[in-house]
Amino acid sequence: MGKHVVVIGAGVAGMEAAGRLSRNGLEVTLLEKESVAGGHINDWFRLFPDRRDSNEVREYLINLSSDPKIQLKTGASVDKLTRHGSSYLLTTDAGENINADAVVVATGFSLFRSSRKEEYGYGIYENVISSADLEKLFISGEIVISSGKAPQRIGIVHCVGSRDEKVGNLYCSKLCCVTAVKQAIEIKEHLPDSEVFCFYMDMRMGGALYEELYREAQEKWGVNFIRGKVSEASETIDGKIVVKVEDTLAGRPLKMDIDMLVLMAGMEMSEGGSKLAATSGLKTGENRFFASADHHFGSNISNLEGVFFAGTCIAPMNVTETISHARAAVTEVMEYFSNNNR
Amino acid sequence: MKNEGKKAVWSEYQKEIADDKFFYVRSCIRQNFFPGSEVAFLRILKEVLGKDVYEHPCHTTCSGIGYHGDIVPFETAMTVVARQFALMTEAGYENYVPSCITSFGLYTEILDTWHHFPEVEKKIRKNLKEATGREFEAPKNLAHASDVIFKFRKEIAAKAKYKLINKNTGEPLRVVDHIGCHYAKMFPSKGVGGAEYPYVLAGMIEEWGGQVIDYPERRHCCGFGFRQYLVQANRGFSVACSKEKFESMQPFKPDMIITNCPGCPMFLDRWQYVINEIEGKQYGQNGEGIPVFTYEEVAGLVLGFDPWDLGLQMHQTDCEPVLDKIGIEYSPEDKYKLNSLNHSQPKHLVVNV
Amino acid sequence: MDNLFDKLMEDIRFEEGLNACMNCGVCTAICPAAEFYSYDPRKIVDIVQSRNNELIEDLLKSEQIWYCGECMSCKTRCPRGNAPGLIIMALRGLSQDLGYFTESEKGRQQLAIKRTIGESILNTGYCVYIDGISPEFHPEQGPTWEWVHENRVDLIERLGGNYKGDGPGILRKIPQETLDELKKIFEVTGGLERYEKIESYSKKKAAEMNLDFDEGIDNEYFSHIYKTNNGSHTR
Repeated sequence: MGKHVVVIGAGVAGMEAAGRLSRNGLEVTLLEKESVAGGHINDWFRLFPDRRDSNEVREYLINLSSDPKIQLKTGASVDKLTRHGSSYLLTTDAGENINADAVVVATGFSLFRSSRKEEYGYGIYENVISSADLEKLFISGEIVISSGKAPQRIGIVHCVGSRDEKVGNLYCSKLCCVTAVKQAIEIKEHLPDSEVFCFYMDMRMGGALYEELYREAQEKWGVNFIRGKVSEASETIDGKIVVKVEDTLAGRPLKMDIDMLVLMAGMEMSEGGSKLAATSGLKTGENRFFASADHHFGSNISNLEGVFFAGTCIAPMNVTETISHARAAVTEVMEYFSNNNR
Repeated sequence: MKNEGKKAVWSEYQKEIADDKFFYVRSCIRQNFFPGSEVAFLRILKEVLGKDVYEHPCHTTCSGIGYHGDIVPFETAMTVVARQFALMTEAGYENYVPSCITSFGLYTEILDTWHHFPEVEKKIRKNLKEATGREFEAPKNLAHASDVIFKFRKEIAAKAKYKLINKNTGEPLRVVDHIGCHYAKMFPSKGVGGAEYPYVLAGMIEEWGGQVIDYPERRHCCGFGFRQYLVQANRGFSVACSKEKFESMQPFKPDMIITNCPGCPMFLDRWQYVINEIEGKQYGQNGEGIPVFTYEEVAGLVLGFDPWDLGLQMHQTDCEPVLDKIGIEYSPEDKYKLNSLNHSQPKHLVVNV
Repeated sequence: MDNLFDKLMEDIRFEEGLNACMNCGVCTAICPAAEFYSYDPRKIVDIVQSRNNELIEDLLKSEQIWYCGECMSCKTRCPRGNAPGLIIMALRGLSQDLGYFTESEKGRQQLAIKRTIGESILNTGYCVYIDGISPEFHPEQGPTWEWVHENRVDLIERLGGNYKGDGPGILRKIPQETLDELKKIFEVTGGLERYEKIESYSKKKAAEMNLDFDEGIDNEYFSHIYKTNNGSHTR
């Protein structure tokens, strides 16, 4: 067919979409702002719900997207996206112009910047870390606090930057609950004698095998689940973190000393996505993610003909959903081309 | 504790504070308990900084303590406040500076209410006109008196005679800052540094040579709680709150506490005395208590004002340990001196001598 | 009977303070009153949003609504933009309007606040004035305050105040015309009506409780409500 598609973003969605497009005979340029492809999966140790090594998924994606028809350009982000007749002209931050017959937007998400929840003291108190920081500790193989010791009591805060009007995010990020459960289990695997407390508002275990994982955390690993939103964290003179939370099921305010507090950062529209929205005319919703043409049967379709969405640039999704969504985007691209050729 | 993290938070809350031509409104509590502080504020602004500050003789309470004691309806409080605005308008001023945090919070709440419900503002204008014949413009700039001192903290530092440094060790004094709840908890964007890590007092402490102490209960209320102190039967709550703060700050060995709210310094001062009376427990180092100051008292001390002109003799917890650490010159025998006829002293001193 | 939720909705602070609550407890976790009293602001919000008239009436008559110190720490934190502290203020207002406040020990204290702070506002133009802060009623103020209070005329002069003087300055005398304006504002805006309601319902309650009731602070009922603490309020 000779058509050329530009995929913006080489994370899970972008790599999956690029691979599937090339398999369908299309020429693909895959743009990635970072120096390597992979996106967030590069930073994750193991994946829920089965705790498989994230490298396995990464290798799958790399294999899929390693095709002569795919040209990967790293260190490139899109400054401008403009329509020229039936095609699009993309200008990268390096000033390179690329023509595309169709565009797949796979700009993904950014993790909520935990320091914005000021009362939790991320970036201020030594032993307050984010879920992403904890994955790094898992990768390093050693879970230690600032004193160099292993933590005895660990708190996990759900909904950091999600379901929270104060930070402008009304939506549920959907994956933080199961991430919390996964990480709680992994902490217990590393530190069997530690106590782990998950502070949640609602346990949203909506994915396949999530509920089972939750149950395993309780039954097998003795993780404590306390229903209440953490109100604030502060630091004692010996570096402990004091957490204020209500055990809402008991109707009792608690003040707990713990050694390490892990913040389950939510998902937000990525910076790259916001920049693209501002310069391209792509519509966004109230939650700042890209707005699909139809929530039910047009979630890959944008307000610009020939520009399609793949993955978490429209809403929080897990890896399984992201891959499915990317494949669906490819179906839309193929249909778009076959209609236009008629 | 990583200070750069706090600095990043502080930088997100830049508050506009007027530079000159202030309409000053006094605090009921402070006039009774810290008169020297309001005197010092005016002296610093007028004499040290050369600013224009106007006080209208006919301004009154904002009724805030009645409002938060729930005996004064919101509509009444709003109209009382509208009258204060009218006095400002009539005097030709636009920059409103209350001495009181309860007032500051109330003004902020009212301006926010009027912003969201313009029909309420309309009604209040009608009320005021009917009751007093007055009309008003809302302030162009609303800043608490501590915001104003914060704004000029560098100018004060440049003219300072003393620093918040222990002259014997050369170490910065360890200073706890206590922010009045209604300064920023209701409207974080209206406070310097926001609600979680307010910078208004921390900025003064840093600028004047001290070290800010963070401790777990830093944000906790002093325990005033309006009705919780105003009614004798409820005062257990009040003292319990202050005690929680003392217990939490004690391991950090603070040299002093600095506050920006009218009631807080009084409670943090007096409850130390009460806890000592009831439990025999004395906070602070060497059984001296933790001296508690207003920001004007600290500014005044730094500028070399006489401690007894600042009214430090009105504190129950003696301030001398801090004066001695800094090396401030003062005359101990002048502490309770009133005039040539009145030579009285607090009774406990007479007994102890 | 009136729909109490609708009545609460007439209070602008209620409208501002209540969106849908998801019972996360972030308010209770930070609440100084919840730490001390058997008190849970989250539950109060939950009862109110149930719109159950009976439960709201119970609330208006309860001790519960009087524990809050109105520090507004809850407003800073609520992820739904609620302000339990403002809801409490609306509940307290309505409880006084309907005379329910005299049904609880803590509620009855409103008369004490009205007779001290409330009257001070109208009589002096200050919420509190040094003459009224007597060491007898404020032993917690300590011996230094005894000295301050006794020597207030000389001390305030020494510090540069203007005790009961004309013109501006610390503790100046507020001119009578100004006090008249304040009173008129209270008359026009419902302030005096609130005062009168507190008085009349309290008088009725005093009769029910067989306690002498008189003006001022030197009578059985005042003394009772000012000092009584049945000890069942705390955790």
